[in-house]
Parts: sequence; C-alpha cells; structure tokens
Amino acid sequence: MARRRRQLEPKGKDEDVRMTAGLITAGVVSIVIVASMFIAPPANVGPEEGSLAPDFVASAYNGGNWEEVRLSQLYDGRLVLITFLDTDCPHCWTEAEYLSEIFDGISGEVMFITIAVELSITGHESTREEIEAFRDKTQFGDNQNNGDGCYSGRKNCAERPGAPHSWMYVDDLSSSIASEWELPGTPFNVILDGEGTVVWNQAQSENHPAGEDMGEALLRLLQEGE
Amino acid sequence: MANPLADPVLLFFIAALFASGYLLANGRGKKGLEGTNRMLDGGLAFATTGLLGSAWTWVIYNDLVRNPLGGEFCATEGFVQCGSVIGDPRYNNFFGISWGMLGFTAFATLFFLILCIRMDPLAKWSEQYTNYAWWLGLAGVPFLFILVGIEIFVVQHICPFCTIAHLALIGYLISVWTLRERREISAWY
Repeated sequence: MARRRRQLEPKGKDEDVRMTAGLITAGVVSIVIVASMFIAPPANVGPEEGSLAPDFVASAYNGGNWEEVRLSQLYDGRLVLITFLDTDCPHCWTEAEYLSEIFDGISGEVMFITIAVELSITGHESTREEIEAFRDKTQFGDNQNNGDGCYSGRKNCAERPGAPHSWMYVDDLSSSIASEWELPGTPFNVILDGEGTVVWNQAQSENHPAGEDMGEALLRLLQEGE
Repeated sequence: MANPLADPVLLFFIAALFASGYLLANGRGKKGLEGTNRMLDGGLAFATTGLLGSAWTWVIYNDLVRNPLGGEFCATEGFVQCGSVIGDPRYNNFFGISWGMLGFTAFATLFFLILCIRMDPLAKWSEQYTNYAWWLGLAGVPFLFILVGIEIFVVQHICPFCTIAHLALIGYLISVWTLRERREISAWY
C-alpha cells in the first residue's frame, strides 16, 4: 500500500502580531494627525465668543426675491449683527422695533442679518410669505387670532412696530442654522467681527459689562475698533 | 492654486495609486505565499493612500473653514476643485464631522486589518480578518456613492483629493476580493 504523504499545513507565527499591528497603526495615525494639524490647524468653530462663526448656505430675502447666500462670503470688514427672530414671537416684535431704531445710525459700520426661525410652539408655524411680510411690514394675516399672520397668528404683520427693515432675512424654518448656532430662544443676537469671529454672544453675559445689551455691545465694539 | 491637476501632492497620490495597483497585479501573477504577500502589500498600499488622501482632504477642510474664499491647498474655481465640495458647509461634513476625518478613521481601520494579515498571513485568524477587511471596506461604498453623486449631480464639480480616496477604496476592495478568491482556490500559500 502506497504511503500517502500528508501535506503539513503551514503554521502562523508563534506570537500574536495583532498587538504590534495595532501599535504600528496607532503610530501611523498619530503621525498623520499631528502633521495634518501642523499644516492646517482645525479651526474652533461655534457660536461661542472667540470661535469662528458656523458658516451656512441658505436662502435669503432682500426685499426683491429669495436668493442663496453664504455667510462667509458676506464679510466685508464691518461688524456683523446676526439676530435670530421668530415672526410669531411677541418679544421679537419689540426686538424688531429696536433693530429699526438702531439701524440708521450704524448701518455703515454694521451689517445686519436676520435669521428667521420657527420655534416648536403651537401657533408659531411660519412661511416665507410671513417672513417677507414681517420684514417689509406688509399685509399678512388679520387680527382674528385664527393662526394667520404674525405674533402667534394673532396679528397682521403690517402692525409690527418700527420701520420696515432693509437688510436680508435668512430662511431657517428648518432650524438647521439655529441648531448649529445652539439657539437658546428668540430673539437672540450674536455679533461677529469683520472676519467672522464671534465677538459677542447674548448667551455669554458673564463675559460682558454688567447689563450690556446688544445695542450697547455694538457701540462698545465700534468704539474699540476706532 | 491655478491648476489643481499640476499639484505635486495630487501627482504623488496618483503615483501612489499606480504603485498600489502594480503591487496587486504583480502579486496575482505569482504563486504561493510570495504572491499573497505581494497582493497584501498592494492592499496595504491602497489603504495607506486612502489614509493619507483622506487626511489631506481634512487639511483642505480646515484650511477652507478659515479661508472660505480660497484656500492654500486646493483650487476653489474650475471644474476640478475643492471649494464646492470640501469648502461647502452643506456637503463637507456628516453630522458635523468632516468627511476627511471620517475617511481617515475608516482607512485607519482597514489599514490595521490588512496589516495584521500581512504580518502573519498564516495565522488562524487571518481568514476571519480577510472577511472583516472585505465587509468593512464594503461598508464605505454607500458613502462613496453619496459623495460621488453630490459631485456629479449637485455641485457638478470634481474634487480631486476626494476622488483619490474613492479610488483607493475601490483599489482596496479589489485587493481584498482577489485575496478572498485566492483563499477559495487554495492558492493562499
């Protein structure tokens, strides 16, 4: 009977190489990350003071029609006042009036941008038509508390106090910008320097002179910039 | 940067893809463990190219976040450019994490798996790791389709370094597929 030679199956190495492979991978990853961060350090992006403002691309209404804008492409060296408003929020009516009052005096040095959001509250449902009417103070809705119009659907948008606004209103009814900017409520203001760094955030009052509101902050920042 | 196709970094990555492909093809022509090792070298080279390519897109991302109007490391105008993909806040991240960093993490995992097999292709676990390498690589394919779809149909620009990472993933998958095939026909060693 012919003897059949059984082919021996080759054996792997005695030691487990996976730990070594893990260490090599960790080493490669560390070197690449350190080198990448050296070449282009990650920017600190967020709504906090000192951070680069989160960029966004969204539709904005400028009085004529809606056009796509990108925040970072709007910077022109002026301070940027970003105001989050909800056309149905009663406090936003007061804020809108305040914005109308301060606009004329400082519009050459400050760019105004309003971001229209829709808070998750019954009666705060909004539309682009409502945003346009709020900005332009045109007829939209009535005073019948039937859900149409501004101010929780209780008032005609034309009755908003203050003058019509002439700056852009950005549509953020989907709340995507609000989420990235960690919007705590409305109205809410953030001031950016001319290159997009957050220099004043309403929610960080501990960093500001006692009781300073947005208008006072703008004046202070403008004086500091002179 | 005027012509992205003349970018030395891009040329380096293209050369790395060709070298990886050469290693893989060279291994296929060889029998036994020598051929397997050469093919594993090819897979490892594809994973390394993907790792470095993804890291480079992360560098470009960080640069464009600071300089949205035009970065230092990739063109932001023309058909082949990074500005409309890596520089666009709508498409350059996945739940806040840059695609470059996600790709880097994925390729680091694939690199580890294939490195383990390369260091000991005869280990008991090497077959299982080859399968892990295949399925994990395959998990990246839907993301590849999403990103290529955005490039072609939405922004209608081609991001060169993103394409390097995509090609590296495809090359890696071909490597692992042929390695699995090699096992099936008992040509591993």
